[in-house]
Amino acid sequence: MKYNIFKHYLITSLIIVITFSFNGFAQELDASNYKMRFNFKTVKQADNSRLLEVEFIGQNKKDRKDKIPVADAEISFYNILNEEEVLLGTAKTSYEGIAKITVPNSQKYLIDDDGLINLIAKFEGSDAIDAEEDEISIKDLILELNLEEIDSVKTVLVKAFTIDSVGVKTPVEEADVIISIQGMLSKMKLKEEYIEDGEYEFEFPNDIPGNENGEITIFSIIEDNDDFGNVFQKKTVNWGTFNKQVKEEGNKLWSEAAPMWMYIVLTILLLGVWANYAYTISYLFKIKKEGKKITENKKQEI
Amino acid sequence: MEKNKNEKSSTNRRNFLKLGLMSSVTAVAGASLISNLASEEELKASGEKVRLLTPDGKVVEVDATNINNYPEAHITPAEARKGIPNRKFVMVIDLAKCKNARKCVEGCQKGHKLDHGEEFMKVQLIQDNPEAEPYWFPKNCMHCDEPPCVTVCPTGATFKRDDNIVLVDTDRCIGCKFCITSCPYSARQFNWEHKAKYDDKSQPYSPETSVPGAEGTVIKCDFCPDMLRQGKLPHCAQSCPMGVIYFGDKNEDIVTNGEETVRFSQLIKDRAGYRHLEHLGTKPNVYYLPPVNKQFPLERGFDIDEEIIERYKDVPYVQELKKQGKL
Amino acid sequence: MNLTRRKSELVKEFSPMLEKTSTLSKIWIWSLVAIILVGAYALFLQIYEGQSVTGMRDNVVWGIYTVNFIFFLGMGYAGAFISSVLHFIKTPWKNSVSRIVEITTVLSIVIGPVFILLCIYRLDRLHYLFMYPRIQSPITWDVIAVITDLIGCILYLYLTFIPDLAILRDSDNLKVPKWKKKMYRYLAIGYQNTDEQKEKLHKITKTMSVIVIALAIVAYTILAWVFSLTLQPGWNSTIFAPYFIVSGLYTGVAVIILVMYLIRKHLKLEKHIRKVHFIFAGVILLILSLLFGYFTFSEYFPKWFSHKASDTNLLNTLFSNYFWMFIIANYGAVLLPLIIISFKKLRTIKLITLTAVIAIFCLWLNRYLIIIPTLETPYLPIQDTRPEYVHYTATWVEWALTFTGVAAFCLLFTLLIKFVPVIPMSGIIDNETDQNKKKRRFKKTITE
Repeated sequence: MKYNIFKHYLITSLIIVITFSFNGFAQELDASNYKMRFNFKTVKQADNSRLLEVEFIGQNKKDRKDKIPVADAEISFYNILNEEEVLLGTAKTSYEGIAKITVPNSQKYLIDDDGLINLIAKFEGSDAIDAEEDEISIKDLILELNLEEIDSVKTVLVKAFTIDSVGVKTPVEEADVIISIQGMLSKMKLKEEYIEDGEYEFEFPNDIPGNENGEITIFSIIEDNDDFGNVFQKKTVNWGTFNKQVKEEGNKLWSEAAPMWMYIVLTILLLGVWANYAYTISYLFKIKKEGKKITENKKQEI
Repeated sequence: MEKNKNEKSSTNRRNFLKLGLMSSVTAVAGASLISNLASEEELKASGEKVRLLTPDGKVVEVDATNINNYPEAHITPAEARKGIPNRKFVMVIDLAKCKNARKCVEGCQKGHKLDHGEEFMKVQLIQDNPEAEPYWFPKNCMHCDEPPCVTVCPTGATFKRDDNIVLVDTDRCIGCKFCITSCPYSARQFNWEHKAKYDDKSQPYSPETSVPGAEGTVIKCDFCPDMLRQGKLPHCAQSCPMGVIYFGDKNEDIVTNGEETVRFSQLIKDRAGYRHLEHLGTKPNVYYLPPVNKQFPLERGFDIDEEIIERYKDVPYVQELKKQGKL
Repeated sequence: MNLTRRKSELVKEFSPMLEKTSTLSKIWIWSLVAIILVGAYALFLQIYEGQSVTGMRDNVVWGIYTVNFIFFLGMGYAGAFISSVLHFIKTPWKNSVSRIVEITTVLSIVIGPVFILLCIYRLDRLHYLFMYPRIQSPITWDVIAVITDLIGCILYLYLTFIPDLAILRDSDNLKVPKWKKKMYRYLAIGYQNTDEQKEKLHKITKTMSVIVIALAIVAYTILAWVFSLTLQPGWNSTIFAPYFIVSGLYTGVAVIILVMYLIRKHLKLEKHIRKVHFIFAGVILLILSLLFGYFTFSEYFPKWFSHKASDTNLLNTLFSNYFWMFIIANYGAVLLPLIIISFKKLRTIKLITLTAVIAIFCLWLNRYLIIIPTLETPYLPIQDTRPEYVHYTATWVEWALTFTGVAAFCLLFTLLIKFVPVIPMSGIIDNETDQNKKKRRFKKTITE
């Protein structure tokens, strides 16, 4: 066993040294074997802030299944208009190859004549990896989500529109709207609908439990839209039918404490038997006492 | 002052994770945790490596614990007895989609630092009757509602939590193996000797991760509560390329396989979900969808190691294949 | 005066057993010690290397340790049962065997649990059984029952020792080491065989024997429940408790016959242990073997008849890999006593003993067949390429420790009967006075 511990420490220290020096075993492969994938996407979030995210991954030129993330690469995000460039922020890619920044709602974007926001993500490049950049042009979409009970029918109302510089609302003409709810591990899609006039009404099902307070977080989502990118809006409402489970009555065979009758039976049995032992031992002491008396009497006689 | 603040936020995060409310956190929060950890650079050896490209073009291997570990959210054995509040976890395994890719087995082994041969998730080949075509049957712990294993444990080393999960506390286990004999699903295994990996104390022991193991104690599938607390799927469900394994909370009636999210009750109703060995009254929490309209021919599953194929040699169908020289 | 003389006569008769150790018994003792030393090495290996040195693996998690555990405990409980029943029978001949039965009982109840300890890996955590007890677990019941029963049996055995210890204490010309004499004096607790003391002792012995009978039944039932309360097709059976009790009694009687034979032969006690003992024990053996056969048949026949898949699988295992073992165990333990003991001509001491020996072996096999094939046939088929995970084979470590158990039993038995005569002297005296009284009463009635 000792030998194993020793061996283990040896390996540990070896690995630590190797990881710190950042010189892997796998020297046979380097960036030249990989084709870089640089994907940029944007999500307009519920609080109207905008998430900018780059996924930077190398794909093996020979073995296409072999994908590895580029970690620790600095990505800069810009908003551009003609020659003008505004740096929105920079971020380093994580071990999953993802760099992201959140641009607050207050950010004033440069908007071109068509009402488009042009965003660029850039990787400056290094000796081994070429520079990369990806551009997105999107319109700023406003997605309204309202939850109302109309004639006791739980209704989800979605409105999608854009506002131009003068403040005129224009309903979105063509878009796919997804209605989903938040689960513990993921979102569950309830409905996907193609809308033409920027409005959608959805009758919310009556049998969704929600969380322990009956609360449900409902999302309206526009996904991968050519004009708007990703936009979502969410609201939480008390429409769930969650029934708090009645506390399990009594103890079970598998619970920590046993059913009552078990304690009772066991106690009676044990008390009965051990009381008898005690009774027997007390008699033995009585016999001993008598024996002592007899020997003392004998001694006196002598 | 600054330090104080940091500490406070870290305890907040810890409690947050422990409560299992991670579900409502958006991806951003998760990412910040990761980058946070990465910058801390607590490099510890675990044997698990992840390959990365660095900006200077090199392929490096870093330790996996740096990425997916949340040491500040350590769940002690005592805390692990409570369970994640208001949850009732269930798993649904779609037998029609399984092609014995064994990715669930490998993902599980990686996640729980198991050796070759130690499998919490096993893929069996079951032939119900001579006429029926066999099917691949991924089998883990059923996390029964009437768990016979928990009933017979003399020390409470194995226990059932409010969130349906049956766990083993290897700090408490005396190694009598009674639970193994009482499990009708053969879900439990035993650490028959000392192994070097048990000495790796870089990660504090928690029944929720089953890591590090201990010699002379019982091990089994734990439904990965540590992953659930982070709002992630268990290792097996995450690694299945076919989306065979759905996992979720029966209370909110939602299960997901990572790609699609569906209502649990609807899925069971539509696809005639059943539980294995229902007649024993163990009330499992793993449901199976029958292997009808299989998406892959059975033979796809034989595209594996010779040694694994040997496991199925007693199945009549396999014997027939061998006779015909097709295997 | 007459009584004192008779006492010293008896002491004289039995004193060679207590005073001297013959060369043969020295060899016997040292060879037992040698076996135990090998066992100690095996135990050391098992503790140091882990239970991977045994044949136990994930499917068959309990091996011959458990078989021995059931075997020894069954023997012990049966002994307790028999000796207590003997206490209530008023026959002069029971005296010669009662101590053999009692010692067998206590020793097997001491050795049995050691085997289950060998099966528990983390002995360093054994106290968790009391720190975090869960009384729903049959193991907890078993722990309580074994401890209670062990203490009860030791107490009972001690009660039956007291009068003899007093006689030994009072015989001055006994040539034994000083520590032995001291022990006699201490353990005899001043028993002088006065009427009062006699009555008291008799009273508590009587109640204790009732308790011991009840305990034997309860404890062995609980042991059977360890198996029958699980869902395993081979174990989950309603008749398991009585089946265990019957086969336990059967084992107990067979072992007692064997011990009687060895002691009679070796210590030249033909005068005390007579053919009538063997014949009586043989008849009991026959009855028990028939009961055992009845239960075995009742256990397996419905399994075969009902065709339940899990049961059929078990029977397939039994009739394929374990065919000969199954045949030998059941034929040997059921048919052999029927053939030998039913015929008056065959009822010799040697043949009865031979039957007992074969029965012991077959009964051990029977326990093996209950434990191992069941574990090899779970509900879900075992799909594994590692042969040791599919089939159980006991390793030398397990065999060494098994024989160590047997050796320890023999050794302790040998040492105990060097301490107290194997035939209770007080019992002989009691019988004689009873007979004298009867004779006198008889004479009286005649003369009147």
